[in-house]
Amino acid sequence: MAIISASSVEKIFRQPKRQAGFGGSIRGLFSRDFTEIRAVDGISFTIQPGEAVGYLGPNGAGKSTMIKMMTGILVPSSGTVQVLGREPHTNRITNAAEIGVVFGQRSQLWWDLPVRDSFDLNRHIYDIPTARFADNLARLTTMLDMASYIDRPVRQLSLGQRMRAEIAMALLHDPKILFLDEPTIGLDVVAKDTVRKFLAEVNRDRGTTIILTTHDLVDIEEICPRLIMVDDGKLLFDGELKHLRQTLGSRRRLKLEFGTDPGPITLKTAELVTDEGAAKHFLLENEQTSILDVLTELGSGHDLTDIKLEEPNIEEVIRTFYQNKPALAGARP
Amino acid sequence: MRAAAYPAFALTAFQSRLVYRNQVWASAFGDLVSIFARIAIWTAAFAGATQVDGITLPEMVTYALLSGPLLYWEYSRVLYDVGDAVRTGDVAVFLLKPLHYPSYLLSTHFGHFAFECVAIVVPVALIVGFTVGLLPPASLFHGLMFFPYWAVSWLILFTLACLCGLLAFWLLTAFSLEWLLMAIMSLFSGAIIPLWFLPTPLATIFGYLPFAWISYYPAAVYLGKLDPTATWLHLGIGLLWLGLLTAAVLALWGKARTRLVVQGG
Repeated sequence: MAIISASSVEKIFRQPKRQAGFGGSIRGLFSRDFTEIRAVDGISFTIQPGEAVGYLGPNGAGKSTMIKMMTGILVPSSGTVQVLGREPHTNRITNAAEIGVVFGQRSQLWWDLPVRDSFDLNRHIYDIPTARFADNLARLTTMLDMASYIDRPVRQLSLGQRMRAEIAMALLHDPKILFLDEPTIGLDVVAKDTVRKFLAEVNRDRGTTIILTTHDLVDIEEICPRLIMVDDGKLLFDGELKHLRQTLGSRRRLKLEFGTDPGPITLKTAELVTDEGAAKHFLLENEQTSILDVLTELGSGHDLTDIKLEEPNIEEVIRTFYQNKPALAGARP
Repeated sequence: MRAAAYPAFALTAFQSRLVYRNQVWASAFGDLVSIFARIAIWTAAFAGATQVDGITLPEMVTYALLSGPLLYWEYSRVLYDVGDAVRTGDVAVFLLKPLHYPSYLLSTHFGHFAFECVAIVVPVALIVGFTVGLLPPASLFHGLMFFPYWAVSWLILFTLACLCGLLAFWLLTAFSLEWLLMAIMSLFSGAIIPLWFLPTPLATIFGYLPFAWISYYPAAVYLGKLDPTATWLHLGIGLLWLGLLTAAVLALWGKARTRLVVQGG
């Protein structure tokens, strides 16, 4: 059974129209016009237990809004959201006890207190049995390397340390689902790497379902086999990352270098895209084409000095995706 | 709901205040200056008279201490807490946890209050007691009755501050409300001038509004200005007001949750 399901979910925000200038603000006190903003527009998907799903989209695409509906702090305008078989906003407290949430831009730790005290408050809030709490705390402290700062007040921590503490805090009560809203935002490369490895491990070893929104595609590459892409509140793509590459036909790039310029080369297995004389760039025809096919077709007799094969970069894939959006609308899997 | 979490919040709030020791000194000093200013004003107002309208100067000094720092505590912290949580969207963090936000606020602010009592009010009372002198309760009955009055006073002030903070869900700022509340409360509650010095029609009206249970009635009971029947009667009315205000907070919170707009996310 699906652990999360969303069907035709819509969220419309009504925002008062601000009129410019002093006169406008005065008028605004007496009459208000509203603009309707469709943050989530008819999104449907289901997520199975143990999945790790990346929820990707540009700024303002409605990612956080969707997370907030799944965690029960926003009510959908229409459609239904079911989490663990319940409607999250009508069962907020029951739902909250079984999920963990990390907001990259909001802290859940008590600013003035040592990290350990915040953890201890969570023990009370989630009513975690003492033995299990001690177990989880010890395990998370080791895995996230928190021993050196667990007794320091939160305000003295670096962002990377704080984020690790936030993630640990969300996992102390063994939630069935972990929601993360941009967990790697603002972190340096090393901290990002620690967080990613940890999340992948939690998903793999403990079977915790992970839903993660991000801007950083590497997050998705390393943690989430499945990708949901949204823009303008609409679903653009839902499927595996490698499937996205195939759908888009992003092809691998092959660079051949020659000792002397062999002149123009035309191949069936690869298309010449850039010709720099002694260095030529090709795009491989399709996923099945191997480098051997190209070399066989090329034949010997050329003064070949170097070969380099590049996988399509995911950033590039996504950029092409957004650029070709109108064309792809009908081809949604 | 996890009941054990709420005492833990109170304790955490208490502990977190220990971090800012300078703030404690500043607040204690501020309270001390303000209480001595009020004592000086009342001394000047009495102008050597032993009593005015049946009230003696030592009674007024005791009234000033009770109605001021003890009963009319720093409620703006509640307002700011709720207002900020709404404005910055941090209220989301509380909604993500299996807890009841108004109860969380209640326990946290009780922790703050307990800290202020121990660190500020008690030392100030001791200083005033040893320098100017404070009166004991008028009788054992009045002394004992002060405690339920104190509890009702604390909860009424808390629910009022909460109500205004929660209105920020609709108005998205608690700032202007705080000014309104501050102006109304300082006059209506009797925190500055006891109702017995106000013109009778005003005193009668104010005497039935919930604000009077914040400062005026508890201090008046302590000083024995209400006879036993009136003491019981007014405790009942106070509880009625408290019930109404609590119902209003819970209703507003329920409404706020469904109409919630989490900003800045």
